[in-house]
Amino acid sequence: MTSMTPGTAEFLLAFADDEHLMGQQHTEWIGIAPFLEEDMAFASIAQDELSHAALLYAIVADNGQGSPPDDRAIDTLAFDRSAADYRSAQIVEVACTGWAHALVRHWLYDTAEELRWSLVDGSSLEPLKDAAAHAAREERFHVRHADGLIDVLAHTPDSADRLADAVNALLPLATGLFEPVAGEAEAIEAGVTSAPFDTMLPEWTNRVRARFPEIDIEAIAAPAYASRTRRHGDFAALMSRMNEVRGIDPTAVW
Amino acid sequence: MSTIAVDTTLLRDAALGAVATVDDPEIPGVSIVDLGLLETVTATADGKVAIGLIPTFSGCPALAMIAADVEAAVAALPEVEEATVEWLRSPVWTIERVTEDARRTMATDLTLAVRVDSGPTPCPRCGSPTEEKSEFGPSRCRAIHRCGSCLEVIEVMRDR
Repeated sequence: MTSMTPGTAEFLLAFADDEHLMGQQHTEWIGIAPFLEEDMAFASIAQDELSHAALLYAIVADNGQGSPPDDRAIDTLAFDRSAADYRSAQIVEVACTGWAHALVRHWLYDTAEELRWSLVDGSSLEPLKDAAAHAAREERFHVRHADGLIDVLAHTPDSADRLADAVNALLPLATGLFEPVAGEAEAIEAGVTSAPFDTMLPEWTNRVRARFPEIDIEAIAAPAYASRTRRHGDFAALMSRMNEVRGIDPTAVW
Repeated sequence: MSTIAVDTTLLRDAALGAVATVDDPEIPGVSIVDLGLLETVTATADGKVAIGLIPTFSGCPALAMIAADVEAAVAALPEVEEATVEWLRSPVWTIERVTEDARRTMATDLTLAVRVDSGPTPCPRCGSPTEEKSEFGPSRCRAIHRCGSCLEVIEVMRDR
């Protein structure tokens, strides 16, 4: 197997960083979600996202050779890079302290992720292709979970207002998921991914429109791209929470 | 190390037997082999055994524990010089890999059902149809159902 180019590594890191930070954010609802089943749901979904991140970081860590994952190397990529080296979209960095915001972000994110994994299910990079087979099965029910709750909540006036507020606040950041990193072109050329992720933006927008028909999503202006190289204001605090336990003993084996 | 070459077929069978003694940490009494996690066993004449497993879900937190248990069980065989365990990237685990034996033990001893694709999953206690109450159970591979007849709340193992 040939080794991957720096561009492909950057492409995979952006993907991994999104999955990683999304998973970390979901874990913060364990124990404080509005009802017990939601504690379980957010825990299970977080578990999936973190495992997808680990699969992706593992590919970068061993240069696409497909050797068994090295947990230490995965942690180094996941936790020990400087803020400027992360390639996450700001939607996974922003703090969602209200549950409506967390739920809407979960829907927006997983609707995009389902499309994103579909672009790499025939990847020339074997470990990525294998990861896509796992992720496709696991992502599918994430959207179903968010849909189930939104179906119920959308009919209650107060809940519907909260959901609408969340969509207004988060949609501009969520479009940043589709922003390409510089390495994406190389990844496409190498057959690692089949097309630019933003070719999926119209399909995603259609799904957002169908999900939230009362909201004029065209009126919500997306910010200019360049968000993947700039960190959101909430990133530092998130990173600090993520490293709280690990910081006690960075060499510990989990 | 023995200087006599080990019979690799016998060693492989012995290793297979050892792996079968390892239960899933969350499903006591049910072997990981019966759950369909074992994919490959290879044995060499110098006593090296390599085990390939597949996870139910990629984020299952029990993976490290299962791998350590399998390694210890195989390494304990006198004819084994070295045991290694690897989590394979493919194939993807499916519920069909769970054996009939495992299904019976789960139903009888643990009131744990296995999801069926067509129609409602039958209650492990009384056989009546169950209804899904939550897709999310105590672990990633379990949902929560309730039996419409005996009203028992049951966990259902699932693959998606």
